[in-house]
Amino acid sequence: MSNLATRKGTFRPLMLLIAAALVIGAAGSAGAAGIPQIVHARQIHFKTLGKTAKSLRDQIWRSHPNWNVVANDANQIERLASALPSWFPAGSGKGHGIRTRASATIWSQPQQFARAARRLFNRAKDLNQAAAGRNLRALRLRIRALGQACASCHRRFRAHSSWW
Amino acid sequence: MNATGATHERVRVWDFPTRIVHWAIVILFGICWWTGETEHMHWHRIAGYGVLGAILFRLGWGLCGGETARFRSFVRGPAATFQYVRKLLGHDRADPPSPIGHNPLGALSILAMLGLLLTQTVLGLFAVDVDGVASGPFARWVSFATGRRFAHWHAANFHLLLALIGMHLTAIAFYRFARSENLLPAMIHGFKWRTPSAGGPYFAPWWRAALLAAGIATCLALLLNIRW
Repeated sequence: MSNLATRKGTFRPLMLLIAAALVIGAAGSAGAAGIPQIVHARQIHFKTLGKTAKSLRDQIWRSHPNWNVVANDANQIERLASALPSWFPAGSGKGHGIRTRASATIWSQPQQFARAARRLFNRAKDLNQAAAGRNLRALRLRIRALGQACASCHRRFRAHSSWW
Repeated sequence: MNATGATHERVRVWDFPTRIVHWAIVILFGICWWTGETEHMHWHRIAGYGVLGAILFRLGWGLCGGETARFRSFVRGPAATFQYVRKLLGHDRADPPSPIGHNPLGALSILAMLGLLLTQTVLGLFAVDVDGVASGPFARWVSFATGRRFAHWHAANFHLLLALIGMHLTAIAFYRFARSENLLPAMIHGFKWRTPSAGGPYFAPWWRAALLAAGIATCLALLLNIRW
């Protein structure tokens, strides 16, 4: 028993070292070749955000909104809005073989982008509060404010789609 | 304008509602374009309602308006259109075919323009923006994916509209430089120079336009649930 324990004791640091080397190696290769995946994941996050915002907006048009749906959607919007800055690591812009409308100004004006993301997060928090309070009037105003935060950020940090 | 002397007189061709609708569409189209490009979707939606109202009015005015505005007076079949094109491009240029209102080719252009603009506004009613918040008033009846599809069709149809507007402007330039007929001022002040024997078209009373406009505005306000 003691012999086994000694063997385990000597092998454990070695195993940890190998595992750490593998993780670092994998992360390094992801950093070099993983930008299309990062962009793809970002696009999925934004689609989820849009889909969730629409789901919530559809509820506020109803005479009797489903408040559970509203609460879930508002929670998810806040969660996604808080994670949004992490979707834009440095170097994940254009020129990596995947189409993206992320403007170069995101990385050339990081403070302004951070401020725009913060604004969205604050508005998402306000929306979540209105959802928790089941206040339909406040919810209508705050979903509009959320949309304004989206649009103002797109104006500045989302590249133009048109060909002219 | 053909001001060759006393043999021509100033004839009223376009009534006030037709001209107002024409220039309202021009202005509202510009507003829609700019607000769409810059993501001012609240104003985009309002301007879009304006375009829809103007198109519906023009369609109604084409049925109950003055002579030059009525579809019955200017929409021609393929044979008449082909004959007009032959005359226009043929040897008898000295005797150009000149209907008082829209010519048969212009009629085709108007039908295409009204059709594309109506399609554009209807697509916009169901369209959903990327953020899922800015949407047309009927977007709540479709899913996010379908609403996005409507938005993409809205964008594709916009390019068709730009092409058609390009053709419209080219045709105006063609009449101005190849046929010495300036169409633009007539759409501003409503008059053309014609021989007295040609006579003038008849016009509908103003209250008919007012009734039509009020009816369309009321229907749109109810249908689109517009909150001012």
